[in-house]
Amino acid sequence: MTEPHGDAAARQQPTGQAGLLPTADGPAIRGALGALLRSARWLAAGAFLLMLVATGLGLLIPPLLGYLVDLVAEQRAADTIVLPVLLILGIAIGQGITTAVGLTRLARLGEGMLAELRERFVRRALHLPLERVEQAGSGDLTARVTNDVSMIADAVRNALPELARSGLTIVLTLIGMIVLDWRFAAVALVVAPIHVLTVRWYQRHAVPLYAAQRVATGAQQHQLLDTVGGAHTVRTFRLGTAHVDKVRTRSTRAMELMLRGVRLVTGFYNRLNFAELLGLSTVLITGFVLVQNGSATIGTATAAALYFHNLFNPINAALRLVDDAQVALASLARLVGVTELPPQPENTRTGQQLDPTIKVANVRHEYVPGQPVLRDIDLEVAAGQRVALVGASGAGKTTLAKLIAGIHAPSRGSITLGEVDLTERGPHAISDLVGLISQEVHVFAGPLADDLRLAKPKAADEELLAAVDQVGARDWVQALPDGLATVVGEGGHRLTVTQAQQLALARLILADPRIAILDEATADAGSAGARVLESAAANALAGRTALVVAHRLTQAAACDRIVVLDAGAIVETGTHDELVAADGRYARLWRAWSAPRPT
Amino acid sequence: MPQQPKPGSRPARGVLASSIRGQSALVTTSTVFYILHQGAEASVPLLIGVIIDEAVTTGSVSALARWLLILAAVFLGLALSFRYGARAGERASYQAAHRLRMRLTSRVVDQHGGAEAGRLSGALVNIATNDAKRVGAVNLALPLGVAGLAGILVAGTVLLRISTPLGLLVLLGTPLLLVLAHLLGKPLERRSGAEQERAAHASGVAADLVSGLRVLKGIGAVSTAVARYRATSRNSLAATVRAARAEAWHDGAILILTGVLIALIALVGGQLAINAEITIGNLVTAVGLAQFLLGPLQIFAVVNGQLAQGRASAKRIGEVLAATPAVHAGEEPLPSTIRGELRLRGLRLDPLHDVDLSVPAGHTLGIVATDARAATALLDCLGRAAEPTAGSVSLDGIDVSTVAPSRLREALVVAAHDADLFEESLLDNVTAATPELSEDAVAAALRASGGDEVAETLPAGAHTVLAERGRSLSGGQRQRVALARALAGDPPVLVLHEPTTAVDAVTEARIAEGIRELRTGRTTVLVTTSPTLLKITDTVVFVAGAAVQAEDTHSRLLRADDQYRSAVLG
Repeated sequence: MTEPHGDAAARQQPTGQAGLLPTADGPAIRGALGALLRSARWLAAGAFLLMLVATGLGLLIPPLLGYLVDLVAEQRAADTIVLPVLLILGIAIGQGITTAVGLTRLARLGEGMLAELRERFVRRALHLPLERVEQAGSGDLTARVTNDVSMIADAVRNALPELARSGLTIVLTLIGMIVLDWRFAAVALVVAPIHVLTVRWYQRHAVPLYAAQRVATGAQQHQLLDTVGGAHTVRTFRLGTAHVDKVRTRSTRAMELMLRGVRLVTGFYNRLNFAELLGLSTVLITGFVLVQNGSATIGTATAAALYFHNLFNPINAALRLVDDAQVALASLARLVGVTELPPQPENTRTGQQLDPTIKVANVRHEYVPGQPVLRDIDLEVAAGQRVALVGASGAGKTTLAKLIAGIHAPSRGSITLGEVDLTERGPHAISDLVGLISQEVHVFAGPLADDLRLAKPKAADEELLAAVDQVGARDWVQALPDGLATVVGEGGHRLTVTQAQQLALARLILADPRIAILDEATADAGSAGARVLESAAANALAGRTALVVAHRLTQAAACDRIVVLDAGAIVETGTHDELVAADGRYARLWRAWSAPRPT
Repeated sequence: MPQQPKPGSRPARGVLASSIRGQSALVTTSTVFYILHQGAEASVPLLIGVIIDEAVTTGSVSALARWLLILAAVFLGLALSFRYGARAGERASYQAAHRLRMRLTSRVVDQHGGAEAGRLSGALVNIATNDAKRVGAVNLALPLGVAGLAGILVAGTVLLRISTPLGLLVLLGTPLLLVLAHLLGKPLERRSGAEQERAAHASGVAADLVSGLRVLKGIGAVSTAVARYRATSRNSLAATVRAARAEAWHDGAILILTGVLIALIALVGGQLAINAEITIGNLVTAVGLAQFLLGPLQIFAVVNGQLAQGRASAKRIGEVLAATPAVHAGEEPLPSTIRGELRLRGLRLDPLHDVDLSVPAGHTLGIVATDARAATALLDCLGRAAEPTAGSVSLDGIDVSTVAPSRLREALVVAAHDADLFEESLLDNVTAATPELSEDAVAAALRASGGDEVAETLPAGAHTVLAERGRSLSGGQRQRVALARALAGDPPVLVLHEPTTAVDAVTEARIAEGIRELRTGRTTVLVTTSPTLLKITDTVVFVAGAAVQAEDTHSRLLRADDQYRSAVLG
């Protein structure tokens, strides 16, 4: 016995916030499953038929053994038992083969449906507007694509075949009992209400308990990641005892809930034991009565009791799987909730012919009504011009960059790229006109070349190397164990922050958008790395209209124009020299940064 | 304190043995109940036979009542023995896992360090959860295995007493059947393992693409990514179906083998019965027992697998518990008042080479290193994260390697550039090391680090609970809160490594001023290349490559040393 879905769910964020992605309801799930099944109906029918035959054959062995015992009892010649023995052999072989083929078909059916579902999910998820993903928290999407998919995969791999076999065994055994003598089958059904009540009782207690277990194991996992991942910091600030106590509290809590789950499961089986006893006694008493009034033979009574005994295991297995099926269903609801979202209109307009200019007119933006993040922004960037945004954290630089990239629609005012108003392009589409490198660096797991080819699928190796060369990364790329073929990212060769950002710039070169937006791409690289990245960015932006959210002032100084933002408004704008000469806010910053710098 | 390994001890066996020993009472209880359960399960079909013989055949109501009562008693025993066997075994399993988790946690955060070396934190967490669970699960597998063995012994004895040839056939045939099934399954198992890995790969790719969503959107690569995922998913589907087919044929083969064995028993038993060497009842019992034996033998196969997993997990746990500490233990006391005079003599740790420098008490020193590895090595020696290969660091004349690391860290705090925050309120993060801190001191630290601005943007201000490892904050926000924590403790010596890399220029200038004010009269070392921070230092040590090249004020170095200027200003 294992605890129900403990660690698999552990990484699931206990999110209580609004804005989570939708969860499908019963009809929607049935609809989606029905559609998947219809497209594989022949496979499904074949699998069902084979499993039916396999189970049926298996049920023939006990009566054959009974027949053999009868032959012996009648003291027939020794060779008469050869026939039933050969029949048993033949049945066993038939059962083995049909089971193997049937289970294979069943796996193809289940796994095929799962693959289709996860592909639809990824397609829909990647097309979701970023704004929507941010509302939900990216943890929601990741949890669905990992935990929920693996929950369903577990169910398909383990629960589905067992459920099919147990279910068919139960049905066929009951049919066998009806054929034997319908009265035995009728009394056997007397215990069915106990099973129904037991499952209901179990679910009533199990659903909240398992939810609590998921929260507790999730909390334990978080605490361990916190403590173990931050071990260096824990030591630095002598927090060891406090952290060990925190882990103990959460681990103990998780353990207690798990043990409560064990008590629940033993209670569940004990109730089923009671049903077994009651059912078996009823069948035996019925046999006693029927044999006494002469309406059944001793053989029939014996067979009925043994048939009923044979039901114990499949009934236990099937009822236990009700629980797994419920968990899988909850996961399915979360997947279907996303796959059934209305599709985003695809952006069919190509941006390559458009004039790469940016016009921001009278833009105001508020995330929370009444709290403007940007106020009355007017900004024009001519084709090929490079503009830096400078300002303190919270001044609105990133928000402005996101509005221009089309991630959010401004609360008021208009943003025009080329001659086209962003709102007309569809509110959330980042067109192929605009490339955005955000604060987030991500190296895709797999060969480095594959990562780069995301930006340009058909690029030859030479083209990739050229891009890598332009961002000053050729040396380290060629020094990697397998060059461009080196597996990088999660589980592969670890790149430094600087290298990862060079990679982002190389992707930008390959994607070749006419407008590029860089948001603090150098922030985490440290000073030395920042300088490498500045020249890489300069190369990557060559020939493009560019908006750079500048963290280091040298980066701003290299731009054609600098826009200084403060509290959501543009307070200064001009070239580096103009702004230094004007002796305003930018000039003060520049002095603080480089006082004795000879220029 | 970490459990130091005895020389030559086998960590895996030690971990496993202590995990079982720690729960021996529960393991024994569970074993006894599982044996009783096994017995009760086996006697149900026997009782059915008896009731048919004694009651249904004879028509005796009193016999029926008597035997049904006995049946009820057996079921009661069956239910209770399962209940208590499972509860004791599961408790032993969870408690053992919990204890291992706590030992691992204590070892990882131990003041002497060394347990994380060469391991990703995700892998360590995995050891503390899944491996601990698997070792714990041995405490449940053992009772099941012993009960299975008891069942086999009892069934074997009964069979041998019926008939020696029949008994031998069943006793030798059933294990042979399982060995055959195991051999048949072996290559399949290996193949399905490899193929399941590919299936897991598909899920990894999906998660990876989702976490890189912004990057994909930023370069318009969504459609490419979708197509790539589809290819991966189809690949994985093919692999999974191959694995499932292998498993299905394995199941089918076992069914066939079982059928062969039952047919053999029927044939031999039938002949014996016809020759009147055994009774018909004996034949029925033999067939029944052969089917019963498959149960305990299958339990054996499962238990065997769990023991193998448990051993592998115990090895991984043992390696972490026995990891070599990163630094020596020291016992010398430190005086209660620390002036804060820091001195490095002939310090070596790759790539540092014979570094000498001294920081007078109350001084603010900048250290500019051209090689990031040199800076890291220096910080590791100061923070006692690594032992220097030669030379020494002393604080107020006391060699720091003679002091217990945690005692030293009260007086000398080395705040890492990427220090972690924890899943608690912003305020608790800042005051974690110094809970008795006055509100004014906390406010001052938050002001100096710019942490007050971070708090203002949060829904519940400084009382907002941060996500695990502070991930609900941006890099710049995290850095400011971490700096506030370092400043809040007001340690006699504070070493800050690049504390402002992720904050903007405006904020950085404000933070530099804040650090200067708050640390007046206290020894502060700033390991950085930021000119804004270097401007508040009294002197700067310039480490070019592996050794100290110059020491002077920031402005003089800027004017006089071209290499320094290019390191700092680019």
